Amino acid sequence: MWSLGRPDAPSADPVLIVDDRVTGASKEVLAAGVTLGMPRREAEALAPFATVLIRDPGEESRRFDPVVEAIEVLIPRVEVVSPGLVLVPISGAVRFYGGEDTLAELVEREMARLVGQVRGGQALVGVADGPFAARWAAATSDAGRPNVVNDTIGFISRLDLAALRESLNADELIDTFRWLGVSTLGDLARLPREALATRFGNPGLLAHRLASGEDRFVESREIPADLAVDTSFEEPLESLDAVAFAARALAERLLRGLRASGVAPHRVSILVEAAAGEPRERIWRSADPFTEKALSDRVWWQLRAWVESGGVPGGISRLRIAPADLSDEGRQLGLLQDETSRIEAERALARAQALVGPDGVLQGRAQGGRMPQERVAWSRWGEPPVDQERDPSAPWPGATPSPSPALVPPRLQSLEVEWDAGIPTRVRLGTRWEPVLTWSGPWRLSGRWWAGERDADRYQLVTSVGAFLCVVAEGRAYLAGVYD
Amino acid sequence: MGIGTVTPFLDLREREEGFLHLLPGRVTELLGVPGTGLTRLGLRLLAAPSLVGPVVALDTRGWISPEAAWETGVTPENLVIVRCDQPQIWPKVTAALLEGVRALYAEVPVGAKDQDLRRLAALARARKVAVAMRPIGSGLPSGVAHLRLRALGVTWEGADQGHGQLRRRRLVLEASGKGAAGVSRRFEVEDEGSDVVRVVSHVVVGETRRAVG
Repeated sequence: MWSLGRPDAPSADPVLIVDDRVTGASKEVLAAGVTLGMPRREAEALAPFATVLIRDPGEESRRFDPVVEAIEVLIPRVEVVSPGLVLVPISGAVRFYGGEDTLAELVEREMARLVGQVRGGQALVGVADGPFAARWAAATSDAGRPNVVNDTIGFISRLDLAALRESLNADELIDTFRWLGVSTLGDLARLPREALATRFGNPGLLAHRLASGEDRFVESREIPADLAVDTSFEEPLESLDAVAFAARALAERLLRGLRASGVAPHRVSILVEAAAGEPRERIWRSADPFTEKALSDRVWWQLRAWVESGGVPGGISRLRIAPADLSDEGRQLGLLQDETSRIEAERALARAQALVGPDGVLQGRAQGGRMPQERVAWSRWGEPPVDQERDPSAPWPGATPSPSPALVPPRLQSLEVEWDAGIPTRVRLGTRWEPVLTWSGPWRLSGRWWAGERDADRYQLVTSVGAFLCVVAEGRAYLAGVYD
Repeated sequence: MGIGTVTPFLDLREREEGFLHLLPGRVTELLGVPGTGLTRLGLRLLAAPSLVGPVVALDTRGWISPEAAWETGVTPENLVIVRCDQPQIWPKVTAALLEGVRALYAEVPVGAKDQDLRRLAALARARKVAVAMRPIGSGLPSGVAHLRLRALGVTWEGADQGHGQLRRRRLVLEASGKGAAGVSRRFEVEDEGSDVVRVVSHVVVGETRRAVG
């Protein structure tokens, strides 16, 4: 485990590194209560003094590459989990170097040498049975003192439940465990597995496996050679754009082939041949089966790291991706779900997004509010949904009743309405006036006066060509929705 | 030899309810002026396909509200709204969507070319995509729609000279085209805001026919 620095961070100021959640922070920020994995908005509220930097996984991968290479000199088959974290199967290397402690110290010394060369580096080394235990052995070690765990089950049982957050990505489940009085993984492991599986389903089962030291279950299979995909380039690729395109295309091809065989990879080997140099190979691992996006990202990060560090002199002449650790995880679909159609739909939406722009492909979530415009929280398709500003389950007295208008302008539109003694008589639709057949309202809408909002009255106007939701404020009428 | 009777009323009603389901590879045209309830009806047509995968509403005006779709039974997490306010790229965007989604409700902008619409209908057939098209201007050219649902009128219940609120809509539709077996049929759709939409046949035939078996 290696802590990466950001060269563009101001040297004196506290720094917060985020994507949609916190991925890194300096000590002052952590002292303010920020934790890794916390939502960005919450972290910014807790540490307003920090300089916020957006995470750049490609750059992180490039900076981490020398560390991976240094480990690979000592032990082959390094598996990169993410920039900053590698897993290394060491059974062979232990025999070669004469023991786990010796090997860990050797790696530690090599890391200490690199600390002076790679800015921001601090290596934490842990040895244990299984990726989950090894990751937390490293996380609980001190710099310069490798943590070699002999009793893996005992070590895991003492870990706090928060250790599961990264593997499960299910904060609510962890909160529920705490609420039930379970605080450590040992407490969790003592619960009957069947009960957890019944009550919490697959996430509960996975949590119990991890807490019991069984780690992720991967059904290893013999990998037919033809599942690997490769492509050669007559003109070696040197530009990053071309590399990105090739990475994406090849990753999609690999997963398409695997899907047809009913398997999903947890590990992939990325191999490139340089036009003038040695072939290079790197293995990446993921706790969940790789999706197209996840695999494309990793291939792209790795290739960028090699290209930018001059590791592929003359450009890339051949690229090969081979899967490993195949399992059928990720194929457990709901009764009515159709994964193939979902993947095809996602491709189609991605193409549409390229045409209309990211703000043109949207998904909505219900949120609270009195006007139709307020009751939908929009987020871009493919991105994490935005937080709801208002609780939809809270009572909203005075909310416009259902049925809701099917057409809602994003902002109120000016509307010409003729009144006779406070009664709407005609409404102008385009170039003609339509008589109002009947109406309901007015319903008072009290604005937040402290925020400069006006009071308004709402009417539902019914004409022979349809019904409209109309807002009247300060003597002027506005269209708020069409019951189309 | 048995003697049975058939009530044409029931037969017709089943057929009319069938008009409110999208068929894979077929285009259903929703024709009528804004305000008649066709947007809500078009979104309602996406409800069944949204149970099994993503469905898309292609919005040319930027006004479609997902809340109305949720009320009609569309699964919220499976509804994606694509906004395309540039008529010149609308055919490309629609074609891109037809390549992958299973069901699409698309507003057709004013000035869309007949040639593009025919190509898109052919693409929908080839890809087995269930499509509802709502032309904002004039209707679709002949041969594009398998079924045309034309809104003839809408009446609302619930609001009364300032009292009450809009509760129930009765939409009179006329179905025509191949999907209606070449015969124009009129029927009513009652909508109370929930996902239950009732079809009320206008064609009531009192007599019964005798079947010989």
